[in-house]
Amino acid sequence: MLPENITAVVGRNDRWTGNAASEPHECGWAREAIIFVRALKTPKGKQPVARVEISPDGMRWLPEGTEAAMPSEKDGIIALRVNHFGNWLRVSADFGNDAESTVLVTIHLKA
Amino acid sequence: MTIQKTPTADMAEALRLAMLRANPDLSRFDPLPRIISHDDFSRGHCGWSQLVGNYEDDLDTMLPGYAQHTSAMISTLGHWDAGSHGGMDSSYALKIATRARAGARNVAIKRHTFRKRGPIRFEVYFTFKPEANELALSETDVRSVGFLFDLQGGDRDNADDRIMPHIRFLNAENGKHVQKWQFKPETTKFKTIGTADKTVSHDHLAPEGWRDLPDGGQRLCYNEIPTKINWTYLCFDFDLESMRATGFRCNDRTFDMSGFRSISIPAMKNLWCMLNFCLFAETDTDKRAFLYVDSVCISGDF
Repeated sequence: MLPENITAVVGRNDRWTGNAASEPHECGWAREAIIFVRALKTPKGKQPVARVEISPDGMRWLPEGTEAAMPSEKDGIIALRVNHFGNWLRVSADFGNDAESTVLVTIHLKA
Repeated sequence: MTIQKTPTADMAEALRLAMLRANPDLSRFDPLPRIISHDDFSRGHCGWSQLVGNYEDDLDTMLPGYAQHTSAMISTLGHWDAGSHGGMDSSYALKIATRARAGARNVAIKRHTFRKRGPIRFEVYFTFKPEANELALSETDVRSVGFLFDLQGGDRDNADDRIMPHIRFLNAENGKHVQKWQFKPETTKFKTIGTADKTVSHDHLAPEGWRDLPDGGQRLCYNEIPTKINWTYLCFDFDLESMRATGFRCNDRTFDMSGFRSISIPAMKNLWCMLNFCLFAETDTDKRAFLYVDSVCISGDF
């Protein structure tokens, strides 16, 4: 049987402001993940760095270490690659006052 | 095909039952003669994908009820205090999680078409819990879990209707532990999506319009802290010929479906022979609700 391979949409047309994060995604079965963040609209204000976060329980989050600057223009996409992440993944970004981005966040997982 | 009542057919049925009951993967189900799909989530998502709302040109045209949906996960039911709970006979189950906002919902869908208008059976082993972010039982945080079918006859059937049977277990509402089964005979008004006159949308899972099943109260096993779960069985029978519900069981209870009604709306020009199945969860508080599904068996008599 082919190994499991799934694309999960964890945020679609979500407007990110302030301390923003994608919904927790449980994926301990996967050995590798790429998270794409795409700006669906022209981002407003200074765009922060997006960071991958891991968790022992899906509720408490720590930076995993992988980061990339949020897209600065409409349809800009960033990719965050991780391959040792335990059971939960999410991506977060802290926006300053008056900054925002409307995002599509997808997690691509392989067993 | 439907097996005729002859001595040979009796033997075939006895053999079928013997093989079913000796098969550890299927023995806990009571499938009709043909198994359409058997989803054991140790083999992946098995086609249970995210229910995405309709849109045209711009995602902002999607109705808000659908915009909140996210993809289902494969879960070990991992908990902060006890580790992974696991499924019934593997480590894994499907997990449908709402967002952490009172009234939020999430829906997973499996999309098929049917070959014959006849009986179908939907069997599920499931459980539900809220996110365990409080050291409290939290038994009234999950509003409901449930399922629905989305059905339409064949293009030569003179089928005038799209039929959508809905059932939910209303666990709690406004902090009250209600624990009863409900059905939903009405949807919202249709809204035109975009400008091309090709797409409409309606929020058939909108909060309004649920009605109680007669004698539909049922106290399910909930256990005593938010990280202990027990698997529950349900079985829903529906006849695609008459488009009527013919039975509903949950664990040791059998419910009277004589008053059950499905949502019925005009047939659509592109949904012939549609056979869709949805599973959903709703939260009653600003806390994520989780519907876990160990396994699903969908069967038919054709």
